[in-house]
Order: sequence, then structure tokens, then C-alpha cells
Amino acid sequence: MQSRNPLRAALPLPRLLAFALVWWLISEGAAASWSIGVPAVLLASWLSARLLPPQRLTPSGLLRFLGFFLLHSLLGAVDVAQRAFRPARPLNPGMIDYSLQLGPGLPRVFMLNVVSLLPGTLSADLEADCLRVHVLDADQDNPAQLAQLEARVAGLFGLTLP
Amino acid sequence: MTGPDYLAALLLLAGALFFLAGTLGLLRFPDVYTRLHALTKADNVGLGLIVLGLSLQSGSWLVAGKLILIWLLVLLAGASVSHLIARGARLRGIPEWRR
Repeated sequence: MQSRNPLRAALPLPRLLAFALVWWLISEGAAASWSIGVPAVLLASWLSARLLPPQRLTPSGLLRFLGFFLLHSLLGAVDVAQRAFRPARPLNPGMIDYSLQLGPGLPRVFMLNVVSLLPGTLSADLEADCLRVHVLDADQDNPAQLAQLEARVAGLFGLTLP
Repeated sequence: MTGPDYLAALLLLAGALFFLAGTLGLLRFPDVYTRLHALTKADNVGLGLIVLGLSLQSGSWLVAGKLILIWLLVLLAGASVSHLIARGARLRGIPEWRR
């Protein structure tokens, strides 16, 4: 939903809060730094709202995705670590095509990046709607995993897949 | 050493183990694509565990938040760069290793 108030549209509150938090963290709470921090936060919020329209993210959706992401990136790291440590070096790589249902834009870019951080998949190329994914184990049901991830990303951004 | 110190030491050691795994994968895996798997996944979790351990040691919410911010930026950079390297390798026609 687009805000009617022009000030709110130019400086969305969630962005202001997010950039203020980032400034507070990088300045480690130094009160004197806010004389530079306030203009920087305002400028960053304005610029980011121009470059990227507001998204329909909710705190509960973010938390749910964070839990899923942390667990699965840990599983992915353990998986690749045991392949690296085992003397037999068990690898059965392959390249698969996955047709994306998420439209172009931030959700798709987000999906692309998360694919590379989750177990056994690496986003290698994108042509039109076709994501080429390099997989570590071609015998696994990789398309099903990707579809599950895509549904979660869609949920995070408040979208429903066709 | 107190309880949190032991936990921090455990997290730091576990993080170092994942870095070791990532480096081992980089050396042992057969092609650029499989090596990227090792780097993106193992090193990101390794850094995450080290960030957790250091956050515990710092005893400050601000420093912990700053460390987590650094971790998120490294995740973003790691995922984006690994995609670009894999794409670059494909454009140069570097074949994938098959068993």
C-alpha cells in the first residue's frame, strides 16, 4: 500500500529506523556522532526509498525466515565440510535448470543469493526466468528443495506464487 | 574462565573448524563450481560462529550488533561474488567436473 503523505513516501519509517539502527551500531552509540548520523540516516533513507520501493516485510515473517535460514545454512556447511574431510571426497555434482516463478526484482535477487548459501546448491547463471543451479549431489531431489525455498522467499516478501 | 568464556571458546573453535573445512574443500574439490560450494557455505557458517563467540566475549550489545552487521555484509558479498564467479566461469566455457 502506497502512503498518501508525501513526506512518508519520501522517508518511509521502517527505512529510517533501520538506518538509524545501523548508524547506532557502527558508531557504537557515541552521542556526539549523531550530528553526522542524522543527515546520513535521512539521506540514506531517502535514497533507498527512491531506488527500492517499500517491501511488504513483516517482523514475524523475517523471524520465521531467519530461523529457516540459520538452520539450513548450518546443515549446508556441515554437508560440505564432511565432503571435504572424508578421504573418499564424495561428490556427485551436476547442473540443473530451475524455472523461477518469482518475478524480477528484489525477491528474485534475494532467492538467487540464498540458493548459494543453502545445502548443496549454487546459483550459477540466470537466463530470463531460468535459474541454472550447480548441485553437489545430483541424486538428491534438488528441484523440490528449490521449490520449497522459493515458496519461503515468496512468503517473506508477502507474495503468492502463481 | 567462567561459563560464557567456555561457550565462547567452543564457538570460536567450531568456527575455526568450518574455516579449515572450507580451505580443505578449496584445495581438494575438483573444479571451480564445487570449490565455490565449499567457500560460500563453510566459511560463512565459520564466520557466523566466530562472530557469536566474539559477541559473547565482548559483553556489549552494541559490539555484538556491529559484529552481526559485519557478518550479514559478508554473507551478502560472499553469495553475490560466488554467483558472479560461477557465471563468469560458465561464460568462459569452463566445464563442470563429473564423477
